[in-house]
Amino acid sequence: MLYLLLIFFPISMAATCFVLRQRTVLVITAAVATMLIQIALAAQIPLDAPARLLGTTLTLNALNRLFMLIFLGIGITAFIASLHLPHGENFVPVMLLVLSLASTTLLLQDLFIVSLLLIGASLVIVLAIVDMPTGTSALLATRTIASALKYLVLMVLAGVLMYLSFVLTDIYRPGEVSGRIPLARFILGLLSAGFALRLALAPFHAWLVDVVEDAAPLVSALVIAVFNVIGLLVLVLTFQSFPALLTENAFGLGVLRIGGIVTSIAGGLLAFAQTSMRRSLAYLLVYNAGMIFYGLVSVSTVGLAGAMFEALNQTLSVTLLFISLGLLEQPDGRPANVVRRDLLWRWPVAGAGLISGGLALLGLPPFNGFASKLLIYQAAAQQGWIDLVALVVATVLGGLALMKLAHEWLLGQGDEAPVSEPALLGEIEIDRPPERRLDPEPRGPAILAMLLLMICLGIGVYPEPVLATIDDVIRSLAFVRAL
Amino acid sequence: MNWFLIVIAISAGIILLIRDWRITISALLINYISLSLFLVEQQFLPPDLDLPGISISTTALVRLITGLSVAIILSITALTFSKEYGLQNLDEFGLAELRRAARAAQQQHTDRQFRLSDYVVPFWSGVLALIASLTLPQIYLIAPSQAIDFTWCWLGLTGLLTIATAGDLLKIGLGLLLCTSSIDLLYTSVVSSPQASGVGVIPLTLLSLVTILLALTIAYLSGLLYGRLKTLELDELYKR
Repeated sequence: MLYLLLIFFPISMAATCFVLRQRTVLVITAAVATMLIQIALAAQIPLDAPARLLGTTLTLNALNRLFMLIFLGIGITAFIASLHLPHGENFVPVMLLVLSLASTTLLLQDLFIVSLLLIGASLVIVLAIVDMPTGTSALLATRTIASALKYLVLMVLAGVLMYLSFVLTDIYRPGEVSGRIPLARFILGLLSAGFALRLALAPFHAWLVDVVEDAAPLVSALVIAVFNVIGLLVLVLTFQSFPALLTENAFGLGVLRIGGIVTSIAGGLLAFAQTSMRRSLAYLLVYNAGMIFYGLVSVSTVGLAGAMFEALNQTLSVTLLFISLGLLEQPDGRPANVVRRDLLWRWPVAGAGLISGGLALLGLPPFNGFASKLLIYQAAAQQGWIDLVALVVATVLGGLALMKLAHEWLLGQGDEAPVSEPALLGEIEIDRPPERRLDPEPRGPAILAMLLLMICLGIGVYPEPVLATIDDVIRSLAFVRAL
Repeated sequence: MNWFLIVIAISAGIILLIRDWRITISALLINYISLSLFLVEQQFLPPDLDLPGISISTTALVRLITGLSVAIILSITALTFSKEYGLQNLDEFGLAELRRAARAAQQQHTDRQFRLSDYVVPFWSGVLALIASLTLPQIYLIAPSQAIDFTWCWLGLTGLLTIATAGDLLKIGLGLLLCTSSIDLLYTSVVSSPQASGVGVIPLTLLSLVTILLALTIAYLSGLLYGRLKTLELDELYKR
């Protein structure tokens, strides 16, 4: 019953919120209440106690419960932030639907169903990308339609590749050589392509950059903080279900590690080359995807723990980044044609949130990414010094990109306020331009950003409890023991 | 060689080659009907539904209904977005944009009476897909027969190449739907074999649901694109 409630309650609330979508405050309150009920339900489900439903096994382990609670927490944050930040008319129902699909994915063990649910969620996210605010008079940008189309095509293809590989794993028996190339290598190739598309690994990262650039910040946060991380958990479940894919594929794993390194370096380098804030952030996320993927395919206890911990940290950092970005992009009273380069001085909480989120992504102390990145570096060192140096170089490039971003958009000089000139002959007070008034930082989202920043710092300073949970689960994974 | 598989392969080839939506959506419907009939004939799933003169599996019937729904959704989309513009609802800016779009469409129409060059890339990509689909079953025999292996490969590759060579949004949708058909055929034929885990009702139902949702998403995006540019052509989308 708890499982059914966890799956279907948010879906029914999504339908209700869709009907009432014009009444923003009511809908957001209902959505936050739904998330709180979901958290209570998730906390009550017994761990590792499988249940059968229509021939499908549902179960929840400690790691998935941790991620589920964090996703629901992120949902609450995003709903509250949507009171002040720009978002589409259907943002709340879409997000409820997506979070329900995310919870279902975490409960399921059947990879066929999981891959179809991921496709279904991508279709729903497409609607969020092209969603326009209620009563807007602006036209939807053609770029946004193009981004949504790109996301749709690539996510469906990713799902098809994943589904195809799961069908092959279903009939694959370890040790069989049925063709010229071992089938395990073929399956790992298909899986890698599918997950590379979903996780935005180079050279399949184009969709992420476009989505970050063209979608509302809260939608980007939803896609990256929730759905990319779900993709990683599904990859772990896949390895757990078919450990032979790894044990018979030492060469393939080497190639995948190189893929992770290339993605990190390319992400850092391209982030440095960008002139737009959103694109720089998008490439920093590509860099981080490469780092996490490297940890995952290092298939060592340290690397996996680092990857999972970093995925969890990414969820928090990305939410902080996009709430800060949404805040900084709000008009502050200056004309639209003024290039704003002093955002940190103008709105310090949002500016600090953006810089801190970036530093957390790069894994610099005292933020939450530090401990997880350290584990990934340790896993790289176990593979050899070349891997370690390559990952450090990628981080340095990412750091330079963040410094450039901060220099260009956050720490620059403010534009000069117009100097009051003496009145011309015959000029009266009403003829003079009104005195410029700059808006203060919106308090609600600033408090949220501050809260997230504190959580990132808290986990950074004291990572042991989270790390211990992750470590326990990683050590119990069959494929880690097999390797 | 099974006749249904031949029809499936030919209809997928038509979707790859032809640009006219009336032909391609009809080909998609034929593709779905043939796929359902093939599944009924092969009896991958035991029949559980007695219709007058025939016993079929419910999932095959669901497949047929899915195909019909998808074809109807895409036909309505294509019909809606190829009829007269609602001029009375447009303001001056809308009319100006419409005139520009109409000029572009007229130019495009005169340019595209019948140009052989439009078919060169799809044709040769189809040839490559054919070679790959014939070769892959020689390397890996995955499905119970080579004919099925050829068909799912062909469906997947033509779907992929249809997306790659598509000139309009509907064609991209058709390509994606061919890809889902491919995994549908592979899943049903392979997972129902004795050495596999067995076909599940939920994956099959969910696959049908995803297929219909995919068609609806394509229809929605088509509506947005047409509302913005008065055309479904991708050239116009990427021009700006």
